[in-house]
Amino acid sequence: MLTHIAERILQALAVMLVMSALVFVGVYAIGNPIDVLIGPDVSQDIRLETIARYGLDKPLWEQYFTFLNRVLHGDFGRSFVFGMPVLQLILSRLPATLELTLAAVLSAALIGIPAGIYAGYRPESALSKTIMALSILGFSVPTFWIGLVLIMTFAVELSWLPAGGRGETASLFGVEWSFLTLNGLSHLLLPALNLAFFKLALMTRLARAGTREIMLTDTVKFARAAGISESVILRRHVLRLISIPLVTVFGLEFASTLAFAVVTETIFSWPGIGKLIIDSIQSLDRPVMVAYLMLVAFVFIMINFLVDLTYFALDPRLRKGRA
Amino acid sequence: MTDAPLLEITDLTTQFFTRAGVVKAVDGVSFSLRRGEVMGLVGESGSGKSVTGFSIIGLIDPPGRVASGSVKLDGRELVGLPPDELRTLRGRIVSMVFQDPLMTLNPVLTIGEQIRLALEAHEKVSGAQARQRAIAGLAQVRIPRPEATVDYYPHQLSGGMRQRVAIAIALLHHPKLIICDEPTTALDVSIQAEILVEMKELVAELGTALIWISHDLATVASIAQHVAVMRLGKIVEAGPTLDVLTRPQHAYTRALLDSLPSRAKPGEFLLRGGGVPDAVPPARKPASAAAAPVPGAPYFIADRVSKRFESRPSALRALGQRFGLLQPPPVVMAVDEVSLTVPRGEALGLVGESGSGKSTLGRMAAGIYAPSSGTVRFEGWPVMSEGQGSKKLTTRIQTIFQDPFASLDPRMRIGDGIAEGPLAHGLIGKAGARGYVRDWLAAVGLDPAFADRYPHQFSGGQRQRVAIARALAMQPDLVVCDEPVASLDVSIQAQIINLLMRLRAELGLTLIFISHDLSVVRHLCDRVAVMYRGRIVEEGPAGEVYDNPQHDYTKRLLAAVPVLPEAAA
Repeated sequence: MLTHIAERILQALAVMLVMSALVFVGVYAIGNPIDVLIGPDVSQDIRLETIARYGLDKPLWEQYFTFLNRVLHGDFGRSFVFGMPVLQLILSRLPATLELTLAAVLSAALIGIPAGIYAGYRPESALSKTIMALSILGFSVPTFWIGLVLIMTFAVELSWLPAGGRGETASLFGVEWSFLTLNGLSHLLLPALNLAFFKLALMTRLARAGTREIMLTDTVKFARAAGISESVILRRHVLRLISIPLVTVFGLEFASTLAFAVVTETIFSWPGIGKLIIDSIQSLDRPVMVAYLMLVAFVFIMINFLVDLTYFALDPRLRKGRA
Repeated sequence: MTDAPLLEITDLTTQFFTRAGVVKAVDGVSFSLRRGEVMGLVGESGSGKSVTGFSIIGLIDPPGRVASGSVKLDGRELVGLPPDELRTLRGRIVSMVFQDPLMTLNPVLTIGEQIRLALEAHEKVSGAQARQRAIAGLAQVRIPRPEATVDYYPHQLSGGMRQRVAIAIALLHHPKLIICDEPTTALDVSIQAEILVEMKELVAELGTALIWISHDLATVASIAQHVAVMRLGKIVEAGPTLDVLTRPQHAYTRALLDSLPSRAKPGEFLLRGGGVPDAVPPARKPASAAAAPVPGAPYFIADRVSKRFESRPSALRALGQRFGLLQPPPVVMAVDEVSLTVPRGEALGLVGESGSGKSTLGRMAAGIYAPSSGTVRFEGWPVMSEGQGSKKLTTRIQTIFQDPFASLDPRMRIGDGIAEGPLAHGLIGKAGARGYVRDWLAAVGLDPAFADRYPHQFSGGQRQRVAIARALAMQPDLVVCDEPVASLDVSIQAQIINLLMRLRAELGLTLIFISHDLSVVRHLCDRVAVMYRGRIVEEGPAGEVYDNPQHDYTKRLLAAVPVLPEAAA
């Protein structure tokens, strides 16, 4: 178990190193940030001086090692556009995306898994067929279109909910959160719903497929033969047995949503990191892009690691050692 | 009132509504059972014996349902009872144990948790009480160290222990009736013998009535006072066990008994397989002179072969092991320095329980696994090439596997499957392939027109015939048979045994026959080698080993085999 964790940490470090090189080289090849930093009318001297100040005159490999050295000291550089440390900039935007993503993924799991278990338990019922038909919609209708429809319906026509922004926030652990105020929650609802649709469909279908399979096994038959009630069978036997694929998908979806909530954040003008990265790409804010992509790689690795640990908790067969 | 039977089944009919029409899985079955009585329900697959069990306990899943008849348990009618009321009876008044404990226990819950769920189904218990009851329940079914076992997960227990756990769960509420559906079929004979004895004691101790469902007449004979033989949903014969087995009245019961190799003289054709003789196998391609036997070499020899199974450690682990920080994982010696010779034309039986290494040895003999050390030679030539990625060098050794479902490609017409190997090795030409396949199908007793069908269109016995045709179409001289009849019904098993005996005689084959079934080996083989923990503990002519076993393990193994009562002369 401990060696397993040590192995995974070594792997993670290697992946991060490769990722840093890829990201740095990839981003280096895009555009020329000097054109963004200074106006076209400044003198050649100032231009050269700026290039030297940012180290852009050095060869690529030297720039990379300077970058790597700084990163190891927790310094991702300063944003060209905002003029503040990149890490601080990203961390200031991260809570907005984090709460949006968590709200979306958790509601998808809390609604999707029970719905899927029901649909798998009673595959012939009308409700199950409706659930499955809706899940196809969730898969196939594009996210941005659902977002627009949600705004048109609930914000424009019915005026029940706001169309964008984070609304009022309250402070917890020194960070501003929307979900702590009623107004903030009302702002959170639509974008979270929008992001949740696809995941909801995915969770439902996974839970249904797993349940259908498990219900046919001898494990369930034996539990029934012992007189155990159907609800206990579903809660204690089936849920435990289908949880491994669900946890895998939950982790992957959580990570990818955290990293790529761009479309929804743009539609609902949600001030998260998705919007930040789009803005940075447009303004060729190189340090922000590099740091963001590194952060995404880190988040994926961490979440996969946590998912791995969850496997050990969920499936005793993976734990080493025989009695 | 106490004289009334515990269970009274009258004219029970259970139907399955399928697209192809209504299937009567149980068709008018009637029998009764007194308190504490043990009854055996015997039949081949599809006879409706399991469905009868599920009908009693009210667990027939759609599209099936109990269509008519009555099941009276303890004076109470169960047919037509609402599901909730039936549930309160299950586990409390009547419970059930299934075939494979690996499938019935939940792999992700501890034994204790599973017992607690079964307890809570019918009574309110605290956590501590549940644990006490679980430990007591495990002790009752003779599980050693129940205080520790209660915290184990199913995969940490052996097959026999898992089945004991399942039995403990079934006995928790002291039900009046237990239905056991093939409870020992997935277990080794010695474990089966233990469970049979324990089960007999337990039901006597608790006064529980028992229905023992099995395909195996001998196990039923050793536990049940009464037996009912089922065929196609009907009970064809019922009565006291001794009467039914020694003086069978119905033709089907007689046929079942005659299918058993243990009741025939070794080497005789089993009665079940009579009828029209099959076609003679097609002619072989004459052997090339290039691979003439090495003079003086034994026909087939496995010379001090071993097989180790070890997982390759990851880089970090390997580093840790090198510096002594980590223990290397224990190496599994599946086969440990075994030597074996087989003369031309002999049939050698390889017997042993699961994990004894008999299949691994068979696979090394057949050139499927490369030995970790030692060599396998055929007519003096090595069967496999040396070194890394070693390959099998000869086509003259072929294998027939246990599971005909797994060993045939589901997407390939069986004719193409049979022709594939012989074509690739130039034994036949493209032009002659079709005729060759047809001849082989006829030789194994199948309609030659079946060549265009897919494996799923065949029954289990037919598939095993296809697998035999495919192996023999490679024109081998030595055939390794790895449990070729283990998954078949007794009557089909008899047909396949007859087929193997006939083809062996006609083609002059040499056989290595691997089986856990001692009676099948005795029937088919001239010599027998007994394997235990990767070694051969005893070897000799079949008759001698069976009648006068020398090694302790052989003696125990033979003693564990349930024996049928002899037919009255």
